[in-house]
Amino acid sequence: MTRPNIMEYSYYPGCSLHASAGEYDLSTRELFKKLAIGLTEIPDWFCCGATPAHNVDELLSLSLCAKNLELADKIEGDVAVACAACFSRLKTTQHVLGESDVKRKQVEKALDAPLKLDGKVKHLLEILAKDLGLERLAAAVNKPLTGLKVACYYGCLLTRPTDVPDLDCVEAPTIMERVIEAVGAETVPWTHRLECCGANFTLSRPGVVLQLTHEILDSAKAAGADCIMVGCPLCHGNLDIRQKEIEKVYQTDYNLPVFYLTQLVGLSVGLGSKKLGLDAMIVNPTPLLKEKKLL
Amino acid sequence: MKKKKMIISQETMDVDFVRKVEALSGTSVRRCFQCGKCSAGCPMATFMEHPPNRVVRLLQLGQWQRILAGRSIWYCASCETCSTRCPNKVHLASIMDALRKLSWDAEGASKESYVQLANKLFLQNIRTYGRQYEMRLAAVFNVKSGQFLKDLMLGPKLLAKGKLKMFHRKNKNLSEIEKIFSRIEEMRKKGEAL
Repeated sequence: MTRPNIMEYSYYPGCSLHASAGEYDLSTRELFKKLAIGLTEIPDWFCCGATPAHNVDELLSLSLCAKNLELADKIEGDVAVACAACFSRLKTTQHVLGESDVKRKQVEKALDAPLKLDGKVKHLLEILAKDLGLERLAAAVNKPLTGLKVACYYGCLLTRPTDVPDLDCVEAPTIMERVIEAVGAETVPWTHRLECCGANFTLSRPGVVLQLTHEILDSAKAAGADCIMVGCPLCHGNLDIRQKEIEKVYQTDYNLPVFYLTQLVGLSVGLGSKKLGLDAMIVNPTPLLKEKKLL
Repeated sequence: MKKKKMIISQETMDVDFVRKVEALSGTSVRRCFQCGKCSAGCPMATFMEHPPNRVVRLLQLGQWQRILAGRSIWYCASCETCSTRCPNKVHLASIMDALRKLSWDAEGASKESYVQLANKLFLQNIRTYGRQYEMRLAAVFNVKSGQFLKDLMLGPKLLAKGKLKMFHRKNKNLSEIEKIFSRIEEMRKKGEAL
């Protein structure tokens, strides 16, 4: 039954995946198991500090990320990251500490240890599209997502800023489209792929978030999408959990299920609803998936 | 502050502060030639009294008090669109970080309390638990900001979907995180870091 894994990664899930984005964690583990890609969770990882840390205290943010990279270094393989914010912070830390000797020395002092920053940090998209490769991914598909029109939503932090994440082109990325087209879905061109959803203002300024997400959902709907695909738990929270509220405030009706990329790819390789955590989504995807004969 | 006429002279230009911003952000404000591309792409510019390009212009003129007295820096969502599109590689998102950091001790800085409160609780959570626990964060934020009913309708739905964890496991290496926090505090006390 057990076949050897074709690749091994250390896995940094991030805080959201252990709570509000539990289905992202679940579907990632199940998908990677199915694709025979090994994931070993970094033991006792810390929060990366996300936006609040670098917002008010860059040194703390750099130190927290450097500490996580040190913990990841003990495990074999590149670091696989699911959350776009964690991905951005870890990559930014490597970049900033590589450029500035002053900051590097300060962080060394804060950790009281030599820094281990060389591990390669990769977003799940990168692992699917580049390490595994689209051909091998397509070969694993047994239930192509034919007829499903997907709006790929990158949000801010997967590709920005120019010289840091190195995932794809910063202004016109296609990596999400390439991955989801490889498993048989259609993608729609739309205007708000890279617009900000308001991210962590969901706590302090929900009004701002509603205004931004309303424009994003409007754009996806106008483009004729059946659903939205994301690679970030905060984008997901703002678009899925708050969707009913947005509909109420702006008197519209979207009914756009918001999937994590691992859920949609998982569906195409034959994983069932339970293993993908589809029941945890607030906007119920079942009618859509039944209509497209995917469930 | 807003209506006060701006007089540019050696007395009113505080360049030392601007140097600190440049050191912390690793970017030079003097590179900006005011093309306005940052503000054109900024999703939050409509909420700010000084849009991003004006923030840089005010820094060039040493008028940082005007920026810190307003709400602009607290409406920045850190989406990094500005830094991405700047033709002169001014890393505006880092400048915003530096300004927020320096506003801690600056005189006359505005207290945009909700964002600051959320940030503070977020960092406290990391120090105490090593990780973020969203339910605790949201609950404490509501209590401390006096908005007891905020997002109350979401709570039961999220609980039913397993999106809010009532209990959590503490990191085994918690003492290490405390050490990082206290070492940084110590470095700042000794003046070894900004």
